[in-house]
Amino acid sequence: MQTSSGGFNRVNSALLQFAEWLAASSFSIGLHESFYLYNWIETTHVMTLMLSLGMLAVIDLRMLGVAFANVPASTIAERLDRPMLIGFTIMFITGLLLYTAIPVRTTQSIWFRIKVLLLIAAAINAWLFRGYMLAAKKSWDLDAVAPRRARVAAALSLTLWAGVIVTGRFIAYDWFDCGGDNPAFIDWAAGCVSE
Amino acid sequence: MLLSLFEWLEASALGVFMKDLPATFAIVEAVHLMGLALLGGTVLAQDLRLLNVILRDVPSNVVTEQGHRWFKVGLWILLLTGVPMLAGVATKCYHNPFYWTKMIALLVGVLFVFTLKQPLLRGDHSLLKPVTLKSMAVASMSVWFLVAASGRWIGFSG
Repeated sequence: MQTSSGGFNRVNSALLQFAEWLAASSFSIGLHESFYLYNWIETTHVMTLMLSLGMLAVIDLRMLGVAFANVPASTIAERLDRPMLIGFTIMFITGLLLYTAIPVRTTQSIWFRIKVLLLIAAAINAWLFRGYMLAAKKSWDLDAVAPRRARVAAALSLTLWAGVIVTGRFIAYDWFDCGGDNPAFIDWAAGCVSE
Repeated sequence: MLLSLFEWLEASALGVFMKDLPATFAIVEAVHLMGLALLGGTVLAQDLRLLNVILRDVPSNVVTEQGHRWFKVGLWILLLTGVPMLAGVATKCYHNPFYWTKMIALLVGVLFVFTLKQPLLRGDHSLLKPVTLKSMAVASMSVWFLVAASGRWIGFSG
């Protein structure tokens, strides 16, 4: 117990050290201080939702049998894969830039931490589902509704990404910033390092 | 006249509800973003198909028909979350040029889709000139991009 909590503290200290180093760099300061640059990066990040999660939603709704039911499931998934990945690439790059602009506060944001966990879960789900779909596609490609396993994966995907949107939006709010009057477990999970 | 309507909205039960807890506004905002992803995704799927960029082996009539169905769902989500958001910060929005830019673009977008684009594209696409299909797609993407981007800028100014 003590060792694992000590390990978590060490990780948090290291993350904070990295964030402070990044925050002191002229690149981070430039991003942070420039009104138009920062706002356009954020606008691009939000607008690209339409490409990344928009395509993802169409694919998942197809798997649930409620959209494009008259088009083979694999056609929708394979054709929309590339525009979706272009979207996610833009999201990732602009997301890194947003982190770089405000590294210390973001590192210690409980919402940012939950968002990263949800992103990892969504990536694992997508990766497992992709393999399953490729292996099984011949058997249900033309069915309006995909088999149960595919539907569960699609519903899980939509739920996880809804969580990513909610936690991503919450990062902007200062409800649980370190140094505030927070319950101890929030400060612990957010990785607030007492100095 | 218009200002008093906005003041009334902000003082209404809905306006008070949206202001009462900061989390309420944030959650409604997040659902608004989910609606944006759905609306934007279905706009892009339909319009990029008309431009022959994606889904080339699926008939564009099918893509338009299916896409428009979920476009309407996205639009409803955005309207049903947008009105409460406005109620929470109505007087601020009244003085915000980006808010009015967005509302005008939204009105143009809705009129364009329901009175021009959809009636035209409900017919067989192969009977329409390619330039007509492509200009519909470019106009549609432009207007919805303007709606979304000016919406994001409401929050940056004031």
